[in-house]
Amino acid sequence: MQQTLTITELKPKARPWLVIFDILFYVLLAAFLLAVIYYFYSYRSIVILDVPVMLQGAALTIFLTVMSMILATIFGFIGALGRISRFFLFRWIALIYVEVIRGTPILVQLFLWGYAISGALTQVGFNPYNIAYQFLTLLQNNSLMPDQVFFNAVFWGIIGLSFNYGAYLTEVFRTGIQTIDRGQTEAGLSLGLTSPQVMRHIVLPQAIRITVPPFANYFITLVQDTALLSTLGGVIELQEVTTSLASPLSSAPFTELFVYILGAVIFLAICYPLALLARYLEGRFAVAY
Amino acid sequence: MRATKGIEGMDVLLQATPDFLYGALHTIIYCAVSFPIALLLGLVLALMSGSRFVWLRGPARIFIEVVRSTPMITQLFLIYFGLSAILATINIAQIDNPWTAGIASLALNYCAYEAEVFRAGFLSVDRGQSEAALSLGLTSRQSFFRVVLPQAVPLMIPPFVNDLIYMLKDSAIISVIGGTELTAALELAREYNYTHTLALFAYAMALYLVMSLPTSYFARWYERRLRAAL
Repeated sequence: MQQTLTITELKPKARPWLVIFDILFYVLLAAFLLAVIYYFYSYRSIVILDVPVMLQGAALTIFLTVMSMILATIFGFIGALGRISRFFLFRWIALIYVEVIRGTPILVQLFLWGYAISGALTQVGFNPYNIAYQFLTLLQNNSLMPDQVFFNAVFWGIIGLSFNYGAYLTEVFRTGIQTIDRGQTEAGLSLGLTSPQVMRHIVLPQAIRITVPPFANYFITLVQDTALLSTLGGVIELQEVTTSLASPLSSAPFTELFVYILGAVIFLAICYPLALLARYLEGRFAVAY
Repeated sequence: MRATKGIEGMDVLLQATPDFLYGALHTIIYCAVSFPIALLLGLVLALMSGSRFVWLRGPARIFIEVVRSTPMITQLFLIYFGLSAILATINIAQIDNPWTAGIASLALNYCAYEAEVFRAGFLSVDRGQSEAALSLGLTSRQSFFRVVLPQAVPLMIPPFVNDLIYMLKDSAIISVIGGTELTAALELAREYNYTHTLALFAYAMALYLVMSLPTSYFARWYERRLRAAL
């Protein structure tokens, strides 16, 4: 028994002089955190001035994300059903949809929806934006959309984002549906369940386990992609707020940099907890293969 | 022009073609320069985040988390607008132009994602390989570069090619700060031609598809061959 090595001899020993850097790191980390707090404290006037406006922008960001994700899920379902359809035409249309959307930049697609298609539809006479705006006016629920120009960009921005993410979610849903063994469906049918019952009680619970982790990751990416709506002009979400608060400050460069950092910190505050949640869900929903 | 006289808007497309092709070339240049830098930085970050020293692990993990939790356009604006004002106070503002800011933000953003791909690749190589290498007398560095890395690289190529396609598309964001990209050429052409907007968009999207579809087919072909070989 003296031949076997104990665990302390199997572990590689860190060289002592490098271990000192470990202690040094903790000290430097504490100093760095104090420096960050002091940085924010020295610009506290800017913080007090800008953070409420940025939080309003962040609220719109979250609203845009949730609306786009709901629509994208709908588009994704339709696309997934089209991709695995029996009919050649539906398969073809869905394939072209997915390949074109995944092969072109999202910025170009947002410009397409916001500038090209809205103009083309107005020329033709059918404009869903007008219908939606009048519908909202009818509901007298315009407090969320104070301005017509604002609502224009928000409407087409949501449609553009949901079309883009619908293509990615198509692939996610298709993988989720196709990964389920056909034997499950056959067993359910042979046990006497009807087709919708099989779908609801057998296939969908398993498919959701496979689908939720990539779905959560796409949600986080969507939060970050709503920042691209700031280029459409008129969507006052977080990135637009940051840019418009920072650009007048070009005479005070360090303050301008601070405003950009503040915007990034608020994005961090939104996305990092979501990323932790996504990682937790990934662990919970892990399928044991 | 005679052959295309019948097609509505064809002359607009032909007029825009040189600018679009230059823009596509610039897109490829952005990606061809940023992607190797992102791979290199990603490898360094992956090695740092897997290190046994906290003073290497900590900064690497913090950097990866921060970069992955902020949008690329935020990072781009930070580097281009935020840093250039500061660099102007010491009179080296020429360093921060759309080219360098675009390449820097693409490389920094993507090195965080590449670091995750590298880490996943290294973890997927059987632990027995590194244990066997160490027991045969190879040093830690030798076992990594001669045993683990060559086995991990084929597994990591499909995610890398997918990230290259994402980078091709994310380079369009650089047009927002004035980079001469395909999207910027599209916007300029759109300003001159109000009537044929959809045709110009279709043309630009077709060019993007020409750049990205062959790459994605290569990734899928490679992944199929890899899965068959495993």
